[in-house]
Amino acid sequence: MFRTCDITGFKVDLKAQQLIRLNAVFAVISLLGAVIAALLLVFTRYQPVHLLSSEWYYRLVTYHGVNALIFWIVFFEIAGLYFGSTVVLNIRFCAPRLGWLSLILMVAGFILTDIMILAGKADVMMTSYTPLKADPLYYLGIILFAVGALLGVVLFFGNLMIARQEKAFGDTMPLFTYGMMTAAIIAFITLVTGAIIYIPTFLWSLGLIENVDAGMYKLIWWGLGHSSQQINVAAMVSIWYLGSFLAVGGTSINERISRLAFVLYIMFICLASAHHLLTDPGLSSAWKVWNTSYAMYLAVLASMIHAFAVPSSIESAQRRWGYNKGLFEWLVKAPWSNPAFSSIVLACIGFGFIGGTTGVIFGMEQTNIIVHNTIAIPGHFKGTVVIGTTLTFMGVTYYLIPLIFRRKIVGLGWARWQPWMFFFGIALLSVSMIVLGQLGVPRRHWDSTFSGGPFTYNFNPATDFFWTLMMLGGTLAFLATLIWILIVVISVFFGPKVNGPEDMQLPISALAPEGKRQGKYEAPGTLILTLAFLATFLILFFLNWKWLAATWGVY
Amino acid sequence: MKNNENQSSTPFFKWIMDDFMLLLFLGVAIYTIFYLLWGVMELSNLPAIPEDVKQPLTK
Repeated sequence: MFRTCDITGFKVDLKAQQLIRLNAVFAVISLLGAVIAALLLVFTRYQPVHLLSSEWYYRLVTYHGVNALIFWIVFFEIAGLYFGSTVVLNIRFCAPRLGWLSLILMVAGFILTDIMILAGKADVMMTSYTPLKADPLYYLGIILFAVGALLGVVLFFGNLMIARQEKAFGDTMPLFTYGMMTAAIIAFITLVTGAIIYIPTFLWSLGLIENVDAGMYKLIWWGLGHSSQQINVAAMVSIWYLGSFLAVGGTSINERISRLAFVLYIMFICLASAHHLLTDPGLSSAWKVWNTSYAMYLAVLASMIHAFAVPSSIESAQRRWGYNKGLFEWLVKAPWSNPAFSSIVLACIGFGFIGGTTGVIFGMEQTNIIVHNTIAIPGHFKGTVVIGTTLTFMGVTYYLIPLIFRRKIVGLGWARWQPWMFFFGIALLSVSMIVLGQLGVPRRHWDSTFSGGPFTYNFNPATDFFWTLMMLGGTLAFLATLIWILIVVISVFFGPKVNGPEDMQLPISALAPEGKRQGKYEAPGTLILTLAFLATFLILFFLNWKWLAATWGVY
Repeated sequence: MKNNENQSSTPFFKWIMDDFMLLLFLGVAIYTIFYLLWGVMELSNLPAIPEDVKQPLTK
């Protein structure tokens, strides 16, 4: 059964809509748990407070990791996959009953895993490296969740097959759906790898297998652990293109190149899992260099293409709407009061300048050694997964509330500045963690003062300043997340119903008009911004090599 | 979303880029060969730890 959206004109399969809604609801529940744990962890690592006992610190590191990096994003991505393959293509959901089975498995896995962690039966951290052993039910919970998610991915491909049969798209699918297809392929790789390692580990925890080799476990586990974050990248970039289209009527100035960039992700981005094994002695340098370079940086090239294509799509559209003065009128007069738009632009900036630059530098075998296993690494992925993915997902939710949940956004005034608050909070947190890591502070460590230990170490006194910044940034980001969750929950469950286009609070732009290029370049402002980004990257690149050279004196 | 595809694209590349099952196969194959199999082979070929070194470590 379908409804026709009176705002977008899309045919919406009501069964798909129900599944999208429920996956999104469980995503928000996961995020709430993850950020509460995050705040407690920040105030534990902040030494003047040092809130939790060591036991609860490691328990909540596990809980935070699993909920933030797996449950929140995968629930949301499954919602996105269903949206991209049914609503956007105007087709029915291929197998609603299997969609329900997928959701039930995922929710069962989510609840079981969280219970086992909070009950103290799985203090193994998210990576659960063997020979650390958790309760079998913990591994079972993860397996149930992964199987459910894998089923969701298969259903996405089922929907695409229906779309192809029904000729729901012309020569090629819309760019947003194409990006979500990329995410689905990476998800397939990720979840199958997860099954390959979690099933024997589960059997080992039951005593049915004698041993799971620690080196082999790390190799295969990171095929899940890191690749799962590449699902985010593909989904996030797809939403950036969608956001440009919805907010200003922008389309990629060269859609074929954007698609090629997605293909490069499919082929090479999962190789980056090797970053986590750079100091493992069992693997050769050839394996490390090839894989950590994403096959000679072809997947990095893809990100660079998107980093130019997304803002240039906004600039090109804005110029065609008449914002043509100088280099940056298009940016100044962009719809900043639209929280979905501001989220996407801020996510793009944070992902590139913080997450992207550090990702390439920390991913190199040589410069990695300065920060390996320091707090700079979670600082880096706060710049990718949190500023990038989470802020993007938060932003697009402001469109999902009226379009999918059919409710008005309650507290739109708060929503307008929530992305800014979240961005500055996480940027402060992330950069502070990166600097602390550069100063040698370890990650996943309950007590950086090593009090009571057989040896001690005095960090550079500047660390005190950055610990304070980290605490302030974490608190700001926590409050911004809480505001977002309150807006979403109140709007979805208690908000006024959307009865027609007149109730749509966020504009949906018409396609930008065709127009002649004013100067030599289609997007000169974006070109300048891209060059500024490259200059930043080169400076950081140089600094890290300089620090590496200074690590050991040569006499 | 508006399709800006350049119609002059060669059929070969269009074929690769538009066939999602082929892309799925390519993604799985490249990752499996370069990351998984190559890595597993390297770890499998490591010499076993000598017993006289292993014993004190596992006690």
